[in-house]
Amino acid sequence: MKKTLNINIGNSIIHIEEDAYEMLTVYLNEVKQHFAKNADDFEIVTDIENRIAEMFGEMLSEQQKQVVSIFDVQSVIRQMGSVKDFESSEEENPAEDYRTQSQAFNPVKKLYRDTDQAMIAGVCAGLGHYVAIDIRWIRLITFFTLFIGGAGVLAYIILWIMIPKAETKTEKMNMRGQETTLRGFANIHLDPLVQQSKGFLAEFFDVVGNFVKGTGKAIFKTIALLIIAAASFGLISLFITLIALMGIWDADVANYFPFNIINQEYFNPLAVSAFLVGAIPLIALILFSVRVAFSSRDINKTLSFVLLVIWLAGVAPLIFYITKISSEFKEGAEFSQVSELKPYQTYTLTVDRTRFFSREDSMRYSIDAENYRGRKILTDIDDEFKAPRNVRLWIEKSESGKISLSQNFKSRGRNFQTALKNAQNIHYDFLQTDSLINFNPMVQLNKDTRWRGQEVELTMKVPVGTFLNISEELGRYLNGPNYWDCGHGSHQGFTEWVMTEDGVKCRHEAPVKDTD
Amino acid sequence: MYFIQYYVLHITIRNIYLCIIMIAENTQTQMRKGILEYCVLLIISRGQIYASDIIAELKSARLLVVEGTLYPLLTRLKNNGLLSYNWIESTSGPPRKYYVLTEEGRSILNQLDGTWQELAYAINTSKKVADDQSNNNPINLTK
Repeated sequence: MKKTLNINIGNSIIHIEEDAYEMLTVYLNEVKQHFAKNADDFEIVTDIENRIAEMFGEMLSEQQKQVVSIFDVQSVIRQMGSVKDFESSEEENPAEDYRTQSQAFNPVKKLYRDTDQAMIAGVCAGLGHYVAIDIRWIRLITFFTLFIGGAGVLAYIILWIMIPKAETKTEKMNMRGQETTLRGFANIHLDPLVQQSKGFLAEFFDVVGNFVKGTGKAIFKTIALLIIAAASFGLISLFITLIALMGIWDADVANYFPFNIINQEYFNPLAVSAFLVGAIPLIALILFSVRVAFSSRDINKTLSFVLLVIWLAGVAPLIFYITKISSEFKEGAEFSQVSELKPYQTYTLTVDRTRFFSREDSMRYSIDAENYRGRKILTDIDDEFKAPRNVRLWIEKSESGKISLSQNFKSRGRNFQTALKNAQNIHYDFLQTDSLINFNPMVQLNKDTRWRGQEVELTMKVPVGTFLNISEELGRYLNGPNYWDCGHGSHQGFTEWVMTEDGVKCRHEAPVKDTD
Repeated sequence: MYFIQYYVLHITIRNIYLCIIMIAENTQTQMRKGILEYCVLLIISRGQIYASDIIAELKSARLLVVEGTLYPLLTRLKNNGLLSYNWIESTSGPPRKYYVLTEEGRSILNQLDGTWQELAYAINTSKKVADDQSNNNPINLTK
């Protein structure tokens, strides 16, 4: 793409590219200067201009195009002949000729900023051209001015704002003090000169951007690569999760928290929409990183639009199902069940990870009922994953002297009925073997029962003076006294406690009361 | 010292050579210039004609290298009263200058015709003498 100009040459309007225009201007100026000593200069130049216009017209209609390019101008100049060619046909004394010429072409030097050789904004380079000193010395001086209270910085910024940038070839030639002739024109390498002129601020950010790009490019690329790698990894994980959730690859994920919140019938649409919502930003991130780090090509607008639409299409059902599922936590219900315990002076409380398989479990794991009867089977499933902690234990003083354990089953649901039903679906067991009480670490839910905040609150009531050995593991379930404060008395993972009038106390802290 | 002598000699020879080339070039341009004017007048004498057509004819006659040389020439001839021009409307683009020969121009052209005949005779004769010499006395060259 190039900027074009409209020019009126020989009374015809011609579209011409900017660089071609500059070359033509320089050529015509040369021609004018050449014929200036001639009395009929105006007529000759007009004739030449008319002829050039005619040639442009012919070229445009021949090549069926609309804009005159620099190559057209070059061929026109070749045909018309340069000033040198004219000189050979002149009659005047060549020595005199030369003198007038050198006067006419006395180069004018102007102060511009040289952005081609710029370190920052080309101020030093421009000054170097102007005073005809090597840029390095100017830069060195500038560098030392930085230490004079930073005056150099201020001066630099002022000069940056004040001195115009050498944008066109003519300006660049003026900056270097070269003759604005075709010869000078040829000296300047044909760099892309058409840069949109920008304001100071825009240019400032350009400079900062270029600096960052220049110095930090390697770091930048490394970061981009890391982002791409991480995003790709995330994408793959998402895909595997999707496959697992859809049940294509049977991993029983649906029974693990938090997936066991989701109703069975919502599962697949929710999985797909969640996948889309997660994956599309990752894809966009990868595309963006690739673009920033490795190519300057813009991301296709259609592609980004399609990605956005797909993402929104994923967000809508996600929100829908999430609100639907949230509504299932609206109401709460609970019911209690009290069981009496055999009385002992000392109880040992612990968590038991071994348990009998329930009927549902045995069916789920297809264990033959005959084989496991009467035997304990150690579960190797880490139940912590299945739901948030849902068992809590209080130890309280029994007023009546009876020793009891009450279980309070709680759950939530869409309405009271479903909440109660959910609570009834809780399976929890503890086992008393003489003075040893084993608590199950987790609430068990029936298969395909969704998690609705089911939990069980255990309250053990013992009379004053009862000793309790509580295992370290159970301490995590204990509410009330802080288990860890009683760390001194622990041996083999147990701490010793005693029930007092003021509630359960660490045995080491209450011996005085004991002897009283 | 020998080196300096050689160097001076080299420079001298080179300058002489350049002088010869310049003389040759100068003569060539002078000849061309005179003939160019004559040819332009000849072309225009056939009837009114547009500058571009003059250029095309001169180009086919291999006389004109660049077009830019023609315009000052035409202007000079016009100012000397040998030519005049009419503006004639063109089908494509702005009106064009069509050059015609004036009466003065025609008489000058007649004079030039005479001059050309003389010149041609002079050159032919000179050439003939030169040719005759080289043909008749081939031994002279070998001697």
